[in-house]
Amino acid sequence: MRPEGRKTKAVRSSPTVAIRDLSRPDAAEKHLAQMESKYHGLLEAAPDAMVVVNQGGDIVLLNLQAEKQFGYRRDELLGQKVTNIIPVGFAERLIADDLRSTEDALAQQIGTGIELIARRKDGSEFPIEIMLSPLESAEGILVTAAIRDISARKTDEKHLAQMESKYRGLLEAAPDAMVVVNQGGDIVLLNLQAEKQFGYRRDELLGQKVKNIIPEGFAERLLADRLRSADDALAQQIGTGIELTGRRKDGSEFPIELMLSPLESAEGILVTAAIRDISVRKAAEANLLQKVKELYRSNEELEQFAYFASHDLQEPLRMVASYTQLLARRYKGKLDTDAEEFIAFAVDGASRMQRLIQDLLAYSRVGSKGMNLLEISSEGALQQALVNLRGAVEESGAVVTHDPLPAVLADEMQLVQLFQNLVANAIKYQKPGVPLVHISAARNVEKKWQFSVRDNGLGIDPQYFERIFGLFQRLHKREEFAGTGIGLAICKKIVERHGGRVWVESGPGQGSTFRFTLAASKVKS
Amino acid sequence: MPKEILLVEDSPGDVRLTQEAFRDANGLTQLHVAADGVEAMAFLKQEGTHVHAPRPDIILLDLNLPKMDGRQVLAQIKQDDDLKTIPTLILTTSEAEADIVKSYRLYANCYLNKPVRFDAFESLVKSINDFWLTKVKLPPRAPSG
Repeated sequence: MRPEGRKTKAVRSSPTVAIRDLSRPDAAEKHLAQMESKYHGLLEAAPDAMVVVNQGGDIVLLNLQAEKQFGYRRDELLGQKVTNIIPVGFAERLIADDLRSTEDALAQQIGTGIELIARRKDGSEFPIEIMLSPLESAEGILVTAAIRDISARKTDEKHLAQMESKYRGLLEAAPDAMVVVNQGGDIVLLNLQAEKQFGYRRDELLGQKVKNIIPEGFAERLLADRLRSADDALAQQIGTGIELTGRRKDGSEFPIELMLSPLESAEGILVTAAIRDISVRKAAEANLLQKVKELYRSNEELEQFAYFASHDLQEPLRMVASYTQLLARRYKGKLDTDAEEFIAFAVDGASRMQRLIQDLLAYSRVGSKGMNLLEISSEGALQQALVNLRGAVEESGAVVTHDPLPAVLADEMQLVQLFQNLVANAIKYQKPGVPLVHISAARNVEKKWQFSVRDNGLGIDPQYFERIFGLFQRLHKREEFAGTGIGLAICKKIVERHGGRVWVESGPGQGSTFRFTLAASKVKS
Repeated sequence: MPKEILLVEDSPGDVRLTQEAFRDANGLTQLHVAADGVEAMAFLKQEGTHVHAPRPDIILLDLNLPKMDGRQVLAQIKQDDDLKTIPTLILTTSEAEADIVKSYRLYANCYLNKPVRFDAFESLVKSINDFWLTKVKLPPRAPSG
């Protein structure tokens, strides 16, 4: 159709022949030979394999790189068809067809990298990229092909594609919703979890603003402002869990936790956000907080109740106790023995109940009254306790001794009560003989003061060591030792409110040593 | 001359107990009882049925009373030029610090807790008798001025 095309085809001659004919002593040809030898130098210096082909597809020239790359000797290639080494896609490009001339066909290829498959002498194939350029010669237009082995690059590309698919796999496998956002706040990638969590189809979210699903706090974090660059803005967020609110397609909102990580890409740094629905956790947290509040209130109510109940119970009981005592006294000897016995039981019951209520009141008071923590002399507190116990000490003939005692951080009234209860117990639970009680204090490993109240009394079986500190726990019959079983419970409550610990070391018949710890005051005593 | 005591107390049990305790402590005391604050003020001001009421030597005043409570009664007594010289003893079960402080601010002459045990109560009444009705010099009963 195009006359030039046909003409070119007609004058086609073998370049190998032309090169052989270079020996002819002709000025023009000599010039060409010079040119060709110069060209040859360039050819050999090129880092790529270079093959010059005529329009018939025959190889007319090649360089050392080409020999190496294809595994042929030069003479095995010269004059051979280029299809031997590049089976498909090269020769065809040089040929004019019904649509274009050879020049046009060639012009379309010039300068662009064409990826093809090359074949070595041993038949193995490898990926190449060829760059074509025209070379005018006496025999017409030749084509120089720079052939680059792109095996390495192809491997890289394959690797990259694998990486991408792997990354996508990771993205889809992630248990959290994952959304990748660019710095403009547009969603560029998301996983199935994200679709589910926000109730959108993938195509409804891709390219949309992330603000649609996370209205506040995310997009803002990606932006540079006057104080920081985009990179800094992002760097500040990376890896930290950010609690925000997500919005579903239906408009409903739910609490989320966001973890951001940067993702380098051709379009700049992207941000991968792992989004976790924390509704359950939030609800659990709120529930727990509510429970703690309720527990605190119920505990407070209980202490208030114990206080007021024991206080109000005391009033009518005071009447019962007082009048039965009055009755017993006024009518002593005037009633029969049955009546006197009945009255005696009533008096005894009422006064025991009074003691119980008073102890219970004291116990609840330890909890309900505020603590007045001051630096006080524990020795002073012990002295006060001993004054309060003077009657009991004198009655029992007990000898109470003590070492010098330190200053401590404590509520003085409560410390007096603590010593009083422990010393009273030491005197009370005695075998025949002189009760000996000794109080001492020493620093323990935690730098706290450890107090000891040691007696030579009955001692306690180790199986009861825990129980004796419980409320209403008694080890003896009322006929042996009167008591309400509250004294040591009060001790425990006092010590624990001071951040200390109370325990006993003892054995039956060995006496007992009650120990408790208290925080030392800052000033050394 | 028997000592006149005004007991302001709403609990009949406590009234009787106090009467019994005073009877044992001093047979010569005359215990008058007002069951609430309004009646106490009427007695002191010799109003209504109390026109012939004697002026008490001391007043034993409970704090928690119906109608007008003990704190108000105390305030009125101590603001009254005629009545304020009568020693007014607070006798209550309240151990609250606020009540103790408030009572003294209103010029109570002393603050006493009702003991829980009867023997302790008896001994308290005995102390009151020994101190306020025996050792203490009281102002003359007839209003001065």
